[in-house]
Amino acid sequence: MALPRWFPLARNEARILLTSKGPWALAALLVLWAYRPSYIAWDGLGPDMTVGFVQTTATIVLPLGALLLSYRSIVGERRSGSLKFVLGLPLTRTDVLVGKVLGRSVGIAVPVTVSASALGLIGLVRFGLFSPLRFLAVLLATHLYVLVLVSLATAVSAVTTSTVRATGVVFGVVFLVLTVFWKLIASRIYSAVSGQAANPYDAPADGLLFALLRVSPDRSYRVLTNWILGVGNSGASYDAVITKLQTPTSISVFVVEAAFETTPVPFYLHEVTGFVVLVVWLVVPLGVARYLFERGDLV
Amino acid sequence: MTTPAIETEGLSKRYGETVALERLDLSVSRGEVFGFLGPNGAGKSTTINLLLNYAKPTEGTASVLGYDPWNEVVECHRRVGILPDRYDTYDGLSARRHLQLVRDTKRATDDPEALLERVGLADAVDQPAGEFSQGMEQRLALAMSLVGEPDLLVLDEPFTGLDPHGVALVRDVVAAEAERGATVFFSSHVLGQVQVVCDRVGILHRGRLVDVGSLADLRSKLDLGDDATVEDVFVDLTADSVRSGEGVR
Repeated sequence: MALPRWFPLARNEARILLTSKGPWALAALLVLWAYRPSYIAWDGLGPDMTVGFVQTTATIVLPLGALLLSYRSIVGERRSGSLKFVLGLPLTRTDVLVGKVLGRSVGIAVPVTVSASALGLIGLVRFGLFSPLRFLAVLLATHLYVLVLVSLATAVSAVTTSTVRATGVVFGVVFLVLTVFWKLIASRIYSAVSGQAANPYDAPADGLLFALLRVSPDRSYRVLTNWILGVGNSGASYDAVITKLQTPTSISVFVVEAAFETTPVPFYLHEVTGFVVLVVWLVVPLGVARYLFERGDLV
Repeated sequence: MTTPAIETEGLSKRYGETVALERLDLSVSRGEVFGFLGPNGAGKSTTINLLLNYAKPTEGTASVLGYDPWNEVVECHRRVGILPDRYDTYDGLSARRHLQLVRDTKRATDDPEALLERVGLADAVDQPAGEFSQGMEQRLALAMSLVGEPDLLVLDEPFTGLDPHGVALVRDVVAAEAERGATVFFSSHVLGQVQVVCDRVGILHRGRLVDVGSLADLRSKLDLGDDATVEDVFVDLTADSVRSGEGVR
């Protein structure tokens, strides 16, 4: 079977990342950031707490790193002129986008895998054998999340002409709005629309609130991985979900099971929506970017 | 007869009110060495950007090696070698890696070392391009354009940043590629280099093609002596268009 046309470009992109320091600094940082043993997590998960560490890598640090390593991939080359070589190759512009996204994603997924393996090894030694299937499934979900982040940053990079604007959109919207402050923003939107307060200590059993909360790729990634871990249906971190389900009023966290104690859970809050939302974030922005990138002037 | 290497009809590019290229009708035959001349801002790069699908035209049509340059990019670029203007190489990647990217994407079989030797970079095969001088970078870019024995070489300002040895190298490469049967289309504002290598020149001024022909044709048409250089021809033609303003052709 012949390799796809964009394969050499993707390999080149991955190589550029893997031969630079950034991704390896990120790998080291992820291990330090995510290694957080706690009694509550041990109570809830036992040795699978180690799998929870992998989920923690994807909180704040990984999105920031992945966005930093990919937001200039096209706009930067457009400014410098190296994009002219790439556009001169026998590739459609869509091939260029695909090659960039996949190559950069691999360039980030490799160090992420190294971090996860290091965490797995530490966990294995200190806390015993965890479920290898869960570990692998959470790692795969993390790779999907990396792909979504790189795809979002590349989409922005492909349709902006200034690096400053790309920085603004990628960090202002993707990082701050969708990653850091989404819980707050979704709660505010919910209150404005429904007229009801979204109190996280005692959340209303309203499907709209929980649907809004999992619109962000960050929270839908955790809905998916919390499902794999079996801790509960929520976009919060696994240890917060465990705490919430043990002592519901002690912590400001939205968990479906805590809110829907007596009422049935709407079908659209099934954990599989975490996966669906990630796929939508992967496909739609890149699709729009592709449409514009195919038509525009690039020099 | 085969299709021309490059053919454009009414090719135009406007950015808002600014006219970068106005109704260009141009035909370059297979095997020809064609020099595209004009001062900076005349529309040379705009033409090349359009032919290479870096930009889309406002109006007009073009064919490159018989392909639609905007809708048949893959087929077209597989047979075209490109040396862009105002480019940048990948600082962290070696010269070899640069050539491998082009070779593998073009599905060609060239040996990177042989190509680098041809442009005088045999000593720098595994050196990162970030350490290259401007002249070395230009030689690397030239080597990248030669990958896969292209049927058409498009060289945008190939003499930029080169010392006299580099300039001679470009001339030799152009001659060798033409000998092999390739068409060479290059742009330049360094006129002296052009008369040595070109079969025909096209002179572009303010987005319009002022004249096309061999240097001898242009000389006789303009009533200049046999020893008139391309500079003389150029000055005569563009001064005329300055005087009569729009609508030379």
